[in-house]
Amino acid sequence: MSLLKRALGLDTRPERYAYAIDPVMGHTAAGKIPDRWIQTTCGYCSVGCGMFIGVKDGRAVSVRGNPDHPVNAGMLCPKGLSEHETLDAPTRARYPLLRPSTLGHAQGRPEPGRGTPSSGRREPAERRRNRRLERVSWNEAIQTMVGTFRDVREAYGPQAVGIISTGQLVTEEFYTLGKLVQLGLGTANYDGNTTLCMSTAVAGYKRSFGSDGPPGAYEDLERADVILLIGANIADNHPILWQRLGANPGKTLIVADPRVTKTAMLADLHLPLKPRSDLALINGVIRILIENDLIDREYIVAHTSGFEALCESVREYTPERVSDITGLSVELLYRTASLYGNARAAFIGWTMGVNHSTKGTETVNAINNLALITGNIGRSGASPFSITGQCNAMGTREAGFASSLPAYRKFERADDRDELAAIWRVPVDRIPTARGLAYPDIIEAALGGRIRALWVIGTNPIVSFPNLGVLRQALETLDFLVVQDGFHPTPTSEFADLVLPAAIWGEKEGTYTNSERRVSKVNRAVDPPGEARADFDIFLDVAAALGCTEELFPGWTKPEHAFEEWKRVSAGRLCDYSGMSYDALEARGGIQWPYPAGATDAAETRRLYADGRFQTDDGKAHLIPVKWEPFPEPPSEEFPLVLNTGRTVEHWHTRTKTGQVPILERLAPSAWLEMNPRDARALRFKPSHRVDVVSRRGRIRNLALRITEIVAPGQVFVPFHWAEFNANQVTQSAFDPISREPNYKQCAVRVERTAQ
Amino acid sequence: MALPLLKRAAEDGVTFVLTPKRHASASLGVLPSAPPARMPLRAPGPGEQYRFHVDMGKCIGCKCCVVACNEQNGNPAAINWRRVGEIEGGWYPQTARSYLSMGCNQCLEPTCLSGCPVDAYTKDPATGIVLHSADACIGCQYCTWNCSYGVPQYNPERGVVGKCDMCHSRLGLGQAPACVSACPTGAIQVEIVKIDEWRVAAASRVPAPGVPVADHSISSTRITLPENLPPNSRPVDLVRLTTADPHWPLVVMTVFTQLSVGAFATIWLLQLLGASTRLDVAALTSLLVGALALAASTLHLGRPIYAYRAVKMWKRSWLSREVLLFTAFSAVACLYAGALWTGLPGGTAIGALTVALGLGGVTASAYIYRVPSRPAWNTPFTLVQFNLTAAVLGPLFAAAVGTGDSRWLSVAAATMAGTALVMLALRFFRLSASDSAERQATARLLATTLASRLIVRGVLLALGAIALPLFTGHPAALWVAFALALGAEVLGRYLFFVSAVPTHMAAPYLGNEAA
Repeated sequence: MSLLKRALGLDTRPERYAYAIDPVMGHTAAGKIPDRWIQTTCGYCSVGCGMFIGVKDGRAVSVRGNPDHPVNAGMLCPKGLSEHETLDAPTRARYPLLRPSTLGHAQGRPEPGRGTPSSGRREPAERRRNRRLERVSWNEAIQTMVGTFRDVREAYGPQAVGIISTGQLVTEEFYTLGKLVQLGLGTANYDGNTTLCMSTAVAGYKRSFGSDGPPGAYEDLERADVILLIGANIADNHPILWQRLGANPGKTLIVADPRVTKTAMLADLHLPLKPRSDLALINGVIRILIENDLIDREYIVAHTSGFEALCESVREYTPERVSDITGLSVELLYRTASLYGNARAAFIGWTMGVNHSTKGTETVNAINNLALITGNIGRSGASPFSITGQCNAMGTREAGFASSLPAYRKFERADDRDELAAIWRVPVDRIPTARGLAYPDIIEAALGGRIRALWVIGTNPIVSFPNLGVLRQALETLDFLVVQDGFHPTPTSEFADLVLPAAIWGEKEGTYTNSERRVSKVNRAVDPPGEARADFDIFLDVAAALGCTEELFPGWTKPEHAFEEWKRVSAGRLCDYSGMSYDALEARGGIQWPYPAGATDAAETRRLYADGRFQTDDGKAHLIPVKWEPFPEPPSEEFPLVLNTGRTVEHWHTRTKTGQVPILERLAPSAWLEMNPRDARALRFKPSHRVDVVSRRGRIRNLALRITEIVAPGQVFVPFHWAEFNANQVTQSAFDPISREPNYKQCAVRVERTAQ
Repeated sequence: MALPLLKRAAEDGVTFVLTPKRHASASLGVLPSAPPARMPLRAPGPGEQYRFHVDMGKCIGCKCCVVACNEQNGNPAAINWRRVGEIEGGWYPQTARSYLSMGCNQCLEPTCLSGCPVDAYTKDPATGIVLHSADACIGCQYCTWNCSYGVPQYNPERGVVGKCDMCHSRLGLGQAPACVSACPTGAIQVEIVKIDEWRVAAASRVPAPGVPVADHSISSTRITLPENLPPNSRPVDLVRLTTADPHWPLVVMTVFTQLSVGAFATIWLLQLLGASTRLDVAALTSLLVGALALAASTLHLGRPIYAYRAVKMWKRSWLSREVLLFTAFSAVACLYAGALWTGLPGGTAIGALTVALGLGGVTASAYIYRVPSRPAWNTPFTLVQFNLTAAVLGPLFAAAVGTGDSRWLSVAAATMAGTALVMLALRFFRLSASDSAERQATARLLATTLASRLIVRGVLLALGAIALPLFTGHPAALWVAFALALGAEVLGRYLFFVSAVPTHMAAPYLGNEAA
């Protein structure tokens, strides 16, 4: 009847398209008007925008920016503006799923609690994948998981269990997981996908300043008179930071990027340098500044060490040589140096252009060197500032217990270990003295059979890890793979033996720390779908099954219990939370650490190292000589182009979430390849052609071709969000030796027309 | 709903403040509002209206405005009342990329409004905002062709079109439009424009890159171009070639009404020349064909039950005129067929009126497609082609039915078909040689994606309307010839629709774009 009415035109669905007046949002679509607003923080990137989720009849129907939040003043990016749609996605994981073992467990994955697992290899992947995942109870899921971990531990030792976590849980969950893994499961082979993202910044900060922790604040974007962005396309990837930067009328913006990104486009001075020549550029600028005495000698003497060695190391970076390496004119180098050196307050921001590199950590050190010798740190507007990618990558850096002990304590320091053991009331020998394997090394160990069971939490390696072929083989080699995620199927969960459905942003409580060290509250607005549960509850269940609840998490039932203990663990450290409380965080729209007990100036902007005292043994920052080297895979005759990867504003990371938001999918429906018209002409490509990108390792098929002057001749660009056009089919297994971050950015490829 | 705040400000200086109040205290209960600079501080006075100002120098192409608009209006993802296009120019590394965010231009002379057959559009006298009524709309989608900017969009779920109304009702409550509020860089603003000054300036204004060359609508939107825009800047989507919707009900409607008119014209001419065999049968079948064609046309409407409303605006809408003329044609053709059947006197006079109304209807049909937003349609060829369809199919149909001398009818049809083929080639060359990017794009579509269909169309016409009728006189062969020619014309009309490349505002490189 209603179909007939529609067909005749009697019914135009007026109720679905009705408007109404909401006391807060004003006149708007009636369906978007909620019963109540829940205050929270955005769950995409680490800018940390304050927002509200509108809930109607238990469903999230709308979001709006929090106009009083110090970060975003009510604005959101397109992902944030449609974030409520991720909660209802049809691809949400709803029930625990287990892949039943084969008849007899001789060849299959170990049966829980039935002695040692098979000595041989896991059965072939295709056969295993033929058995569909079946719904099981939470109890069976957790018992199977813990039983299997126990079996693996007995057969191969505790280090044969690996954990790869994420930057998207709440800090309380990271803190809980860290203790659970290191003390409960007893394995140190625990790392996060943050190693694919900002471990380079972490390593660089640690080397230069003695500790992790971005020293500046977003306010610096408004206060600096010179802003240098290196490999950071914030107009696309952090639009709300662009808004902060845009509020600074007197700035000079310099953008170093081989691609004419939206950000480069809007710069006062764009440095279109050759791929991976940033380190040479910075060394060259340092040399010019030293030669022309545009440095802060007083600051250098009082607060740094290693200046002579630095002077020596940059001597070879003459403007002419740097011009050769970077492709920038000598005049442009002088102009950049002069702008930076004469700035009253200079800010350097960077993201993946620096981090995704085998020389990443050293490039961060070069950036820090530049900031230090000009005294551009710890002051309003002056900071070397790493802009992070995940909503709570910072939280796992602080509390995570993966690449360092919680609260930036060091594995190798006995006093740090003693302190922790005392707080936790555990014997000090339970605290590991060195970090375990980093993410890429866990994958390699899985491939080599040294890691037999892997627990992947809130991340999607099949799309995000470089050199897909190797990763796929590693996952197929494992005896047991647990994937705990808010979504299923994901390209990764399809490999799983056990899928644990997790609550996501909007369904759980805790805190996120953003790039400027602002701790903000996130809240539960709606219930998770089906039987999905908060990661915090899953961790506590695993602890209970392991029998370590009493020792590690006595009486814990809610995230606040973890928060209270974490406050004690962080007290007196650089990332001091001890003055914070959930209530204060709600009221203030977040508080920057350090915020020790007794602090009252919650609204004040905080910067690290304002007193010039660093977290090193002598309190001085280290100036670290670093050397430029070409990237690992230079173009060749067979693979003549350099592939660059990156992001687009509509999507986030591997699209597990944004791929489910129809408006974002409409705005950015597929991946594409950018190629300069000169290369396209030589290859006789036309705009309507579909193309494949081929490297020594694999092939991305059927990309739309965009012939454009955005990229330089000899370079091509592909966004990395799409599983369907997975850029990591061609990227390489090359990692920064210090941070272990992959070199996603430059690899040698050729481009062919897609076979019809 | 009454919107008292949208009354025009009086000349004595009574104003209202559009910028919402910001409650300083509560973190909840704050109106999501834009900074004052984004909104005027008063309502338009006499001779003024609101308009959008888009600052391309500030826009970073984040598309917050698009998402906010869809959230505000509850529209499905496929409908975007605000869209962001990309414009690129220059040469690496001096590449310039800029973004153009556009909603409705709230034109001074809105062509959506002037073409609407049911008067669903109004230009609000107080604000100048072009408003659309979903209740009045019958979903004919003529406005989607009449607007050179592709602003009105048809919503198949509702059977009506919808468009940006500058969040008219939000303005009424002193709130900024959703797009203006959501823009992180303040690139979209609402301003007040003096209508007469803008109209005068419009005559000499060069459109911004990414905005179609102006028609007569006079867009009110002010666009601030980025500094140092390279001379070769152009929308990035121009290289993309996509075919348009075939509009099957309209293919059927136009071809079969033209067949019917052609047949009646042939019958009438034969009657004048003194023929009398089977004229009545031919007239009745032609009448049936015409009636079915008109019935088919209602399938194109989103709300067919309100088809009758379409005659309302006959004074200004070609669509209303078409409906009116074809309705009158059908009615008079009925009388004519009756006269022929019964042999009552006055047949030739009624026949003359039938043919005149029919030709009027075909002309109105052609003028529907003479819209600036479809440059490939907006040429004299459209009228010529529509009439040639009538002229080819009419005699062939009469011959097949067995009216008149099939030899002469075949010669007439073949002559017309020959002309049609010449016109087809001529149209293609004129499109290729045109300055208009859209006409060139149509020619490219016909020469590439649609080439095989175009060739089949020509061959069918040559076979059905020239070869077969000229070389065989067999009655069954005449029906085959007619069927082939009809197929050729249906295919030709299909190509007419799918090869139309609309003028539109700049689009993203890959994003799906409603025309």
